[in-house]
Amino acid sequence: MGRRLLVAVLQMLMTVFVASLVLFALIRLAPGDPAKLLIGRTMDIAWDAAAYESTLNELRQEMGLNGSLFSQYASWIGSLLQLDLGTSFYTDRSVAAEIGERLPSTFLLAGTALIIQMAIGLFIGILSAVHSGTWFDTVVRLLCVGLASVPGFVIGLVLLLALAVQMGFYEISSQATLSRLWLPALTMGLLGAPQVIRVVRANLLGELGQVYIQSALSRGLSSTRVVWHAMRNVLLPTITLTGLSFTSYISGAVVIESIFAWPGLGEYALNGILHKDYPALQGYALVMVLSVVVIHLMVEALYVWLDPRMTRRKKEAVHE
Amino acid sequence: MNSRRASCALGFGVALLALLAGSVFTASWLSPDDPLAMNVGARLQQPGMEHWLGTDRFGRDILTRTLHGGQTTLISCGLALLSAVLIGMLLGALAGMFHGSVFDIVLMRIIDVLLAFPFMVFAMVIAALFGTSLFHLLFAVVVVWWVSFARLTRSLVFQAKNSTAVDAARVLGTSNTVILFRELLPQALGPVLVLATFELGNLILAIAALSFLGLGSQPPSPEWGSMLADGRAHFMTAPHVLLGPALWIILTVLAFNCIGEGLRDRMDPYEKARIG
Amino acid sequence: MHRKRMIWPMLVLLVLILGACSGNQPVTEGKDSAAPTNEPASQTDSKIPEELVIADQEIAAALDPVQPLTSSYLVAIGAGETLFKADPEGRIQPVLADSAEAVDATTWEIRLKPDAQFWSGKKLDAESVVASLERSRELDKQITPYIQDLTFSAIDESTLQVKTARANMDVPLNLSSYQTLIHNAEASYDSVEHMDLTGMYAVTAFEPQKRMELAINENYWGQKPTVPRVVHEQISDEQTRMLSVFSGNSHIAQKMPVSAISQLQAEEAVTLSTTPASNTQTVYLNLNRPKFQDAKVRQALAWSVNREELIVQAAEGQSFPVTTWLSSNPAFAEARNAVYARYDLERAGQLLDEAGWVLDGSGIRMKDGEPLNIKLMTWGGDRALGETLQYQWARLGIQAEVQHGDYSLIETARESGEWDAFIEAWSTFGEPFTLLSGQYAPTGGGNYGGFDDAKTNELLQQLSEASDEASRHALALEVNAHVAEQAPVISLYPRSQITAISRNLEGFVDHFRPFENLVNENLKFVSP
Repeated sequence: MGRRLLVAVLQMLMTVFVASLVLFALIRLAPGDPAKLLIGRTMDIAWDAAAYESTLNELRQEMGLNGSLFSQYASWIGSLLQLDLGTSFYTDRSVAAEIGERLPSTFLLAGTALIIQMAIGLFIGILSAVHSGTWFDTVVRLLCVGLASVPGFVIGLVLLLALAVQMGFYEISSQATLSRLWLPALTMGLLGAPQVIRVVRANLLGELGQVYIQSALSRGLSSTRVVWHAMRNVLLPTITLTGLSFTSYISGAVVIESIFAWPGLGEYALNGILHKDYPALQGYALVMVLSVVVIHLMVEALYVWLDPRMTRRKKEAVHE
Repeated sequence: MNSRRASCALGFGVALLALLAGSVFTASWLSPDDPLAMNVGARLQQPGMEHWLGTDRFGRDILTRTLHGGQTTLISCGLALLSAVLIGMLLGALAGMFHGSVFDIVLMRIIDVLLAFPFMVFAMVIAALFGTSLFHLLFAVVVVWWVSFARLTRSLVFQAKNSTAVDAARVLGTSNTVILFRELLPQALGPVLVLATFELGNLILAIAALSFLGLGSQPPSPEWGSMLADGRAHFMTAPHVLLGPALWIILTVLAFNCIGEGLRDRMDPYEKARIG
Repeated sequence: MHRKRMIWPMLVLLVLILGACSGNQPVTEGKDSAAPTNEPASQTDSKIPEELVIADQEIAAALDPVQPLTSSYLVAIGAGETLFKADPEGRIQPVLADSAEAVDATTWEIRLKPDAQFWSGKKLDAESVVASLERSRELDKQITPYIQDLTFSAIDESTLQVKTARANMDVPLNLSSYQTLIHNAEASYDSVEHMDLTGMYAVTAFEPQKRMELAINENYWGQKPTVPRVVHEQISDEQTRMLSVFSGNSHIAQKMPVSAISQLQAEEAVTLSTTPASNTQTVYLNLNRPKFQDAKVRQALAWSVNREELIVQAAEGQSFPVTTWLSSNPAFAEARNAVYARYDLERAGQLLDEAGWVLDGSGIRMKDGEPLNIKLMTWGGDRALGETLQYQWARLGIQAEVQHGDYSLIETARESGEWDAFIEAWSTFGEPFTLLSGQYAPTGGGNYGGFDDAKTNELLQQLSEASDEASRHALALEVNAHVAEQAPVISLYPRSQITAISRNLEGFVDHFRPFENLVNENLKFVSP
């Protein structure tokens, strides 16, 4: 057991290392010079060419951009080993502190959205599996298709218009307070629910067709109890999906965070790209990779805990 | 009863898709207007007799643009999906075939990295590196998207590998390659196709989301995702701008979903039973 | 039992559908929508708000004015001040300065306001002004072009002497840029408690790139404002910013997209400020490309631009045509319609025919078997502009292709020389000689296309030597018109800055530099 854990942790570290290398390369290879951005768009005033060049050079030196790509990577990794994410080019603040300010809001939003997504998904998924073939099932399927075909920003803006502007009971501000949490969380939950509904429905239908269920039914067990039994086997694919959803909520909520002015990491990444703030972007990407890897590890641990004899087959076969 | 429903869904999906594809690929004949023709006098017109789905901010006919844009969207998304499926199936099948080998372990680590990768950041960096165009966008999408197909194929191939049929083939001395292409891949094809039909909708929407962030196809050629993203600026005063592309996306996704469900119902023997 | 359980999902769906439906309402019935949308605003009317909330795309990331752009936000929000400031007509007015006087060609004397003081109560004397400017010179790279030719010294407690490296420099103009914000150089800028500026509002709370709260500075030396508190809030998404004003959550929303103008105009709770800024949307042409070496081709491009149509399509009518580069500056308004007085497609066609680019059977201009094509690069909010230009040039038989993307792509293309044309908007506010030589002298930083014209260079030389205001003005106009005729660049229109202001807020001043003129002492809330 201890050895397995060690292997898992080693693999995790390897993933993070490779990811850090790829991320670093990608971020640094993108065109554009962060030093030029810091001097400001030259469009405001004509700089004297010589003064511009010397200022630029001085700044690049200060920002540590003059060395080779390899030495820049080495110094980044060096400071990482001392648990230092560096200093933002744009704000001159510690990247770790900035991410630390925003990480809780992102996790809060992702967690709440996940709960909503799972609640709706499991509930409607079970109902539509149990009632498969009825008009209810058909309506649910159509709605799922509809919901899965409308982009998040449209749904987000329509909800904002209705709830903030017309009804006036949602506040638009830049604060990550609990009173502002429910709407972005609900939007994300609704957008993610169809996926869960599909997985739960398909897996549950598969289970319900199994011989043991059929015989239980013929022995006169109530259908609620039968569904309950069948659900235990639907749980594993659902957990896989939960992990995947959570990771995508943490790293990919850029659009929803931006629409609802939720001060999370998505906005931070967007700003980082806008300002070509290498340390901020690298820090963000690394934290994302770390969170995702840890979540995967936790999902794995959950499997072992739920079903120690678990076969690989069940773990990996997520029916879509 | 249920298999009849399945083929019903399949038939409906195929018919709908045929209809959509027909409307899109005969666009220049159906709607001979120029999708690029601007008209300052007819900006943001409501749907009416002259413009069935209204006009956009440049006074261009939205129906015409939706139909013409469909060619770009359908062909490019189809190609992107196809490449993702091919890459995913090939790598996944190899990993499943040689389960536990070095190749498998490395592939799984790569998949981990890609799953851990913030996709939006990746797409933005690609766009900044090579310029924003639909091609680069789809390239970024494919680089990440093949992962789900690889995972699925890998697990399916691994399951199938241990079946009696494969054991029998192996006893008879059939080579690995033949086993892979004759026995294993065909079994994985069905579920992967089903997954692919569901993923197409996500793909179209991912392009819309990236267009929203300013990384879409280049003007002025229409494309559903970027039409949606452009229409966002008018969602209060002229929401009909969104109607055309949204309608076609919904119908396309619906068609593919029906095809997917139909295919799965045909393959999946368990789903025949239900309790009520 | 199952039937009962289905009620809940149905309810959820109902809420969704309701939301979607009510969202569509205002759209179809433009005017009726005003009634429901006004509600939150009218609720707040009953009591006058204590707090002015300003939603912005970005707010300060730090408190120290030497950090990039921080000084601009601090000036905008009323926390910091400069010695001079441009008024809405483009004239330079003293702020912390009392008067300025050119003693000789290279020396200025600036007297400070006698009662000016910092938040802390410390008197603003000449020494502290020098210390502030020197601190910025050392730590803020962006200030370099404004003060690199200036040396400051204190003559007495309230008089500042400025020596200039060049003759006839406009010192007050340079000291009106937000980078020259005057701050207490002895204070530290790591926290709200320690920082020390001079403005009418003092910062009381700050979350970087989220929210800044300010309250009236009780030690303010000038006329105190009436609104007790100001909040500067970062809401990055433009649509959400707009909705925040509609909902009454904020009172001013900055940097509205032009495409949202129709929506803003339909909204009764909001007024619009759409002041064209003093910059010119300009198509820069790469003169190293053989096709653009012929002035006739460039002139043809300029004649075939229908600026009125461009302004409707790409700026929602919120600007005015500008045919020569300098004329978006209010001081040179007389040249707005010079040279290319009207849209003339026929003339453009003739010019291209003369240049040897003739129409082939399919309506495309060809020369030596090559089609006339242009790859136009755009960035930021200029996508619609590029799209419209492309369509206009297509009328002439030119195959134009738009590439819209990040600004760094334009920078990269410029460095490699691999570009045809791009759109950029340089500021036209400043000293005419600096501006014009920056654009058209062979060494100018904004002369991207490599324009090198003997007559232009000679006129620029004369301009640099001219000693009186009137002859400088006349020479600037001459350079401006001559360059427009040569058409190394094509001037289109000034970029408008759009600000949405809640109707219950009075006293907002339209300014051609809205990004640094948000808060003034006369802002107050009224019941409409």
